[in-house]
Amino acid sequence: MMKSFLQFIQIHKSVKQHATRFSAVVVVLLFGLFLQAYMHDFNLVYITLFFVFSFAFSAGPIGVLNIGSLKSTFLKQGRFFAEVEGKIPLQLYNPSKSTAWAIDIFYDKDTFLPLEKLESDTSTILQLPYTPNKRGHFTYEGVYLESKYPLSTARLTKLVKEIFTALAYPQPKGKSLNSFLSEDESHYGEEKEFDGLRDYDGSQKLSHIHWASVAKGELSVKTFVKEHQTQNLLFHFFTSGSDDEARLSQLCLWALSCEKLHLTFDIQMPQKRLSSNKESIDEILSYLAKY
Amino acid sequence: MKFLVTLQNTKFSSLVLLDLAYVVVLAPLLLMLKVPMLVFVVLVVAILVFSSKPAKSWLIVVIFMLGGIAIYLSLYGAFSFRGLSRLKLFLELLIYVLIVVVSMQRLTREINIYLLLSPFFFLALSLFFFYGMLMLIYVIFEVFFLLWMILSHRMQGDILEGFRASMVMFMYSLPWVVVLFIFFPRISFEHASYGFKGETVQRMGHDGTMYLDNKALLVPSDRIVMEVGFEKKIPASHLLYFRGSMLYIDKKNHWEPIPSFVKRKEGLVEHKVNNEKTHYSVTLYPTQKKWLYLLDIPTQAAKESKLDRDLISTVKRKIREPMHYAAISTLRSKFYDTLDDYTLKISTAVHVNHNPKTLEEVLKIQEIHHTEAKRANALVKFFQSQSLTYTLKPEALDINHTTDSFLFDTKKGYCVHFASSFVTMARMLGIPARLVTGYKGDISNGLKNYLVIKERDAHAWAELYIDKHWVRYETTSTASHIETQAHSNQTKDTQNSMSSPLMKKINLYLMYAKYQVETWILYYSNIRQKQLLGYLKENPKFIFIFISSFITLVLVTLIFTVYFKRKVYDNKALESVQAILKILQERGFIRKKNETLHQYFLRYCEENVDKEAGTRLITQLDDSYEKLVYADKPTNLALKDFKKLVKKATKFKTY
Repeated sequence: MMKSFLQFIQIHKSVKQHATRFSAVVVVLLFGLFLQAYMHDFNLVYITLFFVFSFAFSAGPIGVLNIGSLKSTFLKQGRFFAEVEGKIPLQLYNPSKSTAWAIDIFYDKDTFLPLEKLESDTSTILQLPYTPNKRGHFTYEGVYLESKYPLSTARLTKLVKEIFTALAYPQPKGKSLNSFLSEDESHYGEEKEFDGLRDYDGSQKLSHIHWASVAKGELSVKTFVKEHQTQNLLFHFFTSGSDDEARLSQLCLWALSCEKLHLTFDIQMPQKRLSSNKESIDEILSYLAKY
Repeated sequence: MKFLVTLQNTKFSSLVLLDLAYVVVLAPLLLMLKVPMLVFVVLVVAILVFSSKPAKSWLIVVIFMLGGIAIYLSLYGAFSFRGLSRLKLFLELLIYVLIVVVSMQRLTREINIYLLLSPFFFLALSLFFFYGMLMLIYVIFEVFFLLWMILSHRMQGDILEGFRASMVMFMYSLPWVVVLFIFFPRISFEHASYGFKGETVQRMGHDGTMYLDNKALLVPSDRIVMEVGFEKKIPASHLLYFRGSMLYIDKKNHWEPIPSFVKRKEGLVEHKVNNEKTHYSVTLYPTQKKWLYLLDIPTQAAKESKLDRDLISTVKRKIREPMHYAAISTLRSKFYDTLDDYTLKISTAVHVNHNPKTLEEVLKIQEIHHTEAKRANALVKFFQSQSLTYTLKPEALDINHTTDSFLFDTKKGYCVHFASSFVTMARMLGIPARLVTGYKGDISNGLKNYLVIKERDAHAWAELYIDKHWVRYETTSTASHIETQAHSNQTKDTQNSMSSPLMKKINLYLMYAKYQVETWILYYSNIRQKQLLGYLKENPKFIFIFISSFITLVLVTLIFTVYFKRKVYDNKALESVQAILKILQERGFIRKKNETLHQYFLRYCEENVDKEAGTRLITQLDDSYEKLVYADKPTNLALKDFKKLVKKATKFKTY
């Protein structure tokens, strides 16, 4: 009993209560009923008045327990890129014996994700959208849970105390990997055998254009099976863009493309050579992010 | 069951929940709506039922105009600026306006805060118009229902979950409501009376004129006239005389009281004596008469009434609605009084020649006995010697010689005839005498401290002035025979369902419960509150009983709370297996997060190879659970067997 009480005190401390317009309504209602009851000794009105008062009174602890016992944790998952919307995973766990109802997860001032209910001893993962402004480390805080359960007479909020920190990689943009490869064919081996058609994206050689498809109104280029896989791709920092940010963005895009195509690559940075054979993609992207 | 399943899967929209709330809060108000307003409500409901789209603005304007016409027609004649000052009319107008406004907003199918609040306004307004046991029950239901609808709305229209949550909240609130109701400070304003509280039906009983001919009162009915709550236990039946009217003037076929214009001198009525006082409270139902009935001998006037020199209590206006009053009496059969000339004259007035046979007997008594007391005793003995029969079906008396006719010819009659003859004869003997009408309670109609007075308890008796005291004489006790058959036939006619003693007892218990609720809830006041607090201060035992009762209430509400807060499983097998999971957890075998039941049981068996019996049971449970949950068509029988197995497993001690 004492333990439960202390637990409740602890939960209560973690929850803030704010008045709503219905709080004012309840006060007015109580006052009106009080006048009606008191002036004429109306016991039926007294009973209604006391019920309204008790409901409003018990709504507080019920609401606090509803939201207060929820546990929230940010999960370290996913990649973030500057100026690209990413998803921050927030895990909510309900350790109490009752279902939590009508929770809104506010992740921006007026933006929230509604959670209809979270049954007891279950958890759910919510993806909170977030766009980092720039590359590098960023922190994410100010997420809070809000609920007006049960009677809307109070707005209860519980701050997610944990601060989410992550590294935003440079925004992947620039020329496509194909474009890079087409500029230096030797990097990619010799064309041997016709492999098929794909859409023309402006970076292919004119000689590769499939003129038959152009006649049909489709602009396609021919692709060929290479005779042998070339050595590692090498991207040079200084030749990949006009300024540092453009270069980092370009390298990031190529690194991700290589990862997608399962190609190994090296990046020659001013003071370091990054190799996908030695470092993971995330390590390479982290280096780029922190540059 | 299918209905519950359907309900479980149905989510009610906010509008539907709001409509349900309207149905409940408007139900009592519909009883007081005038026909034009009822027609308007029916019209709005019809539009809502047959059109699923938001009403267009022209329709809302039409509804507004129709609402205005309905209000005008409903209040036509009663409506004026002067009429508005009458609270009831003002409230009625308020309800009508609210109905029109709510209808207009509801037709738009958009919920705003005013629409959300309107059910509470309707509830509060209905409380002005209805008061009583039924309304008490309905108000509690209304309050619960509104809470249910609010919570269902909060739970996305899940009314089953809403019901469970509202039961929990209701139970949390109940002890608070009880404490507040009892201890919240009250002031002594009177209960207001609005609405439909008055009754036009007259409770039968003597009404100041007592007829002896065929107009004579005969009402062997079980209709309740009064309910009396004694502070202590009910006094014996022979002390339960409730005084009504006092009759002095013999008009041959009937008796009348002293006319109201006669001014009588105040006597030295000794009604404040040191005898033990009996405190009691009375609920008097509408009698359409002015008498308040007080037990002999009342020591003070009840509220809003005056007690005259004959100790008769009256109010200014006829009683048209249930009246509650507290009273104090000393239970005696005589009291001291000094007679003024007028009272002496009128209480000895008698037409000697109207009853020659009686006069003959009177002369005999006068010759033998010379004091008033002895003559009165002789009178009683004479009545006893006449072999009089008490019957509710007496033969008609000779109106010109009523006393002779009753005492020597028919010899049959009831209280009226006995009392009338007794008073006449007493006066002939020179003893001042008068007739008292009222009610005589019967302890068989009582339970603990609660007594019911019915129409059949209407009674008349005599008071004789002997040695400066008015002495009560129960004249019907002089009857030698009682015609019970006639009486029981009458009883059968009127009692019907009350024929069995058990039914009578049950009915009495129900009335007792109703009376207690009325006394302690509906008519609980600052007086009751003070009484209760005073009693609490003086009686430690009562404090103990009071606190114990409160703790019991809290425990009961807690039981309900736990029941409604319990986790509900869709899967019955999973629900029943929880008992085993609890036992295993208590023994320290904790289920890991995301571990399936099968994995959990398997891990138990692997880690407890030495506990052969336990692992065997758990394996059996695991198999049965799997078959039951993952079988194509699980049968009730399989579930039954599974439950038996769980029960067996819970009794096993050495896990």
